[in-house]
Amino acid sequence: MKTNYLFPNRLKFISGVLFVTSSLMLTLYYSVSQFGQFEFKAKVFAIYGNDGFLGESGWFWGVDNSILDEILMSIVITTGVVFAFCKEKHEDELVASIRLRSLAWATILNYSILLFCYLFIYGMPFLNVLNVAMFSQLLIFILLFRYKMYRFYKSAAYEE
Amino acid sequence: MKNNIKVQRAIHNLTQQDLADKIGVSRQTINALEAGKYVPSTVLALKLARLFEKTVNEVFQLEDDD
Repeated sequence: MKTNYLFPNRLKFISGVLFVTSSLMLTLYYSVSQFGQFEFKAKVFAIYGNDGFLGESGWFWGVDNSILDEILMSIVITTGVVFAFCKEKHEDELVASIRLRSLAWATILNYSILLFCYLFIYGMPFLNVLNVAMFSQLLIFILLFRYKMYRFYKSAAYEE
Repeated sequence: MKNNIKVQRAIHNLTQQDLADKIGVSRQTINALEAGKYVPSTVLALKLARLFEKTVNEVFQLEDDD
């Protein structure tokens, strides 16, 4: 069985390293207030947006923004998608079925958590939930799939 | 579904790794098949049967709960 929608295996290591480091940096950026001081101010194009947090709003215009989180989020999402959907070294149909099952469970788990947060977290802290929701499904899928693959590789460490 | 891949493999004097290499899957997959933890696709079942020079029915059998 041939799968052609997966990224090549040689990208797995580099994307994994980049994903872990960039997501740690993004977590630090969001959670430790001192890191918020590293600002790369730039004029960015907005399809729709406010200038500043509550400034005037408009369509298709330039706004001033600190772009560090945009850069980090771009890296987290692109490397995350590549790492999550890389071919395994020995790609076969059982691996494909483990991947599919992990994806289904990750989706169910992610939306359960999101629904829980939607019902029980209000006000400004909910913005944090929305931030995490940007990549939570990807993260849960990666953790689940890597754990199942670890169990899979360990399942036949010896010849019967 | 049960199978007798382990018996067939012994008859043909193949290790799990040999069999895995011949039909293009990982050794863990052969292990899972022999343990009855995984039901293969039709393509994989046909490949195994062809390698063992048997029909698919001789290698794989339905169980009561299937």
